[in-house]
Amino acid sequence: MKKLVIILLTIPSFIMAQDDLLNEIDTYDTGNDFETAAFKGLKIVNFESTKMVSKKELYFVVSHRFGSIETGIKDFFGLDQAVTRLNFIYGVSDGINIGVSRSSFQKTYEASLKLRLLRQKKEGIPISLVLFNSVLINTSLDKDELPKLEFDNRLGYAVQALISSKLSDNLSLQLVPTLFHDNLVAFEPQENTQYALGFGGRQKLTKRWSINVDYGLHFNRASNSPFTNPLSIGFDLETGGHVFQLHFTNAQPMNVNTFLGQATGDWSEGDIFFGFNVSRIF
Amino acid sequence: MEKTKNQITQFVIWFALLFGVVVFTTAVAQTKYLDKNGVLIFEASEKLFEEVKAVNESVTVIFNEETNEIASLALIKGFRFKNSLMQEHFNENYIESGKYPKAIFKGKLVDFNPDAKKVTVKGTLEVRGKKKEIETTLNMQKVDGMISMTGEFVVSPSDFDIEIPKIVRNKIAREVNVKLDFKLERNDT
Repeated sequence: MKKLVIILLTIPSFIMAQDDLLNEIDTYDTGNDFETAAFKGLKIVNFESTKMVSKKELYFVVSHRFGSIETGIKDFFGLDQAVTRLNFIYGVSDGINIGVSRSSFQKTYEASLKLRLLRQKKEGIPISLVLFNSVLINTSLDKDELPKLEFDNRLGYAVQALISSKLSDNLSLQLVPTLFHDNLVAFEPQENTQYALGFGGRQKLTKRWSINVDYGLHFNRASNSPFTNPLSIGFDLETGGHVFQLHFTNAQPMNVNTFLGQATGDWSEGDIFFGFNVSRIF
Repeated sequence: MEKTKNQITQFVIWFALLFGVVVFTTAVAQTKYLDKNGVLIFEASEKLFEEVKAVNESVTVIFNEETNEIASLALIKGFRFKNSLMQEHFNENYIESGKYPKAIFKGKLVDFNPDAKKVTVKGTLEVRGKKKEIETTLNMQKVDGMISMTGEFVVSPSDFDIEIPKIVRNKIAREVNVKLDFKLERNDT
């Protein structure tokens, strides 16, 4: 009887021992981690996303927007009329990114600063908030054509608040209140200071493919402006080290001021552009 | 009267047994070794392709010298890759660390001898809720209140039902080499 009691009493302590040992070190609460990336690319399509370049990483992004596919086989669906943008972005820290770029659209140079203020958590803060600021220099303006041209006239500025929320593992949405200013506007009656609201989303289709959409609603476009609101639809392919973004958009330029202010395409007429963003990380 | 005495004796025996068990387990608890900054490195690189390698420098390991039992825990999110996009992809699409945040090892140092230079460890590694038996020989050194262990073992993604898609199949090795480097300190609390 006593032996039985001893055995019965010691068995549980042996069985328990291993789990106890694990329990002693298993003190992590993983319930309140930061949400992983709402977006995989630095851009949704045209709009900047809340994705940041990590500390000490350097991204080299090559973006192309071919000519309008409307021209058909004559220009090989736009191949001959491409706009290219080369963009370097460096992570000063996980929350501070700086970038410089050159776009062939109006020979535009751009410097940018991206700051993350809030980061979405699984429980708690339901959004990520990132500020994006950029300064543009249009170097295509010619003094021979515009004799009174000053350096100031070449400059443009943009400020955006990127507000994203990863609603589920597969769906992320973003709002982008935008203010931008061109010292010299491409269309005379247009006010220099312009307001817009961007909408963006990403829906994961498989582990590696997602469909991305963004749209820019311009609030004070001049009444007979030739320019249109940019709507873009694309696919992201993510392979673990790279993100390839392939898309159709009615905006050929790629800087904030230019794709919001000077998009010329029209989806209803098939006047759209095929394009891609590819990145290389150093 | 006789009956009551008997009851008291029984009570005393029970109490002594319970007390003994408590004392015994407490005694066990006093000879543990702990490392909170253990290092785990895994590598699944293929030649000519981008390095697939991650380091976790905050692995917790606990060893009970009385029972020779060892347990270890690594947070999946603690594995750092050179390329943060790869790290994200690893967490999101391979290990699914949102659902399975921890990798756990439970086992025994089967032939533990404080003076030996080698020790065989045997146990189960649990990743993504799937268990895999691991047996390997570690280099070991015990000095004063410290035990250091280094070694390696091999697992494959399929052990844990991790599917490698076609497009990256030749960039990720089929066998994943895992290295460990633990320095456990005597923890008398």
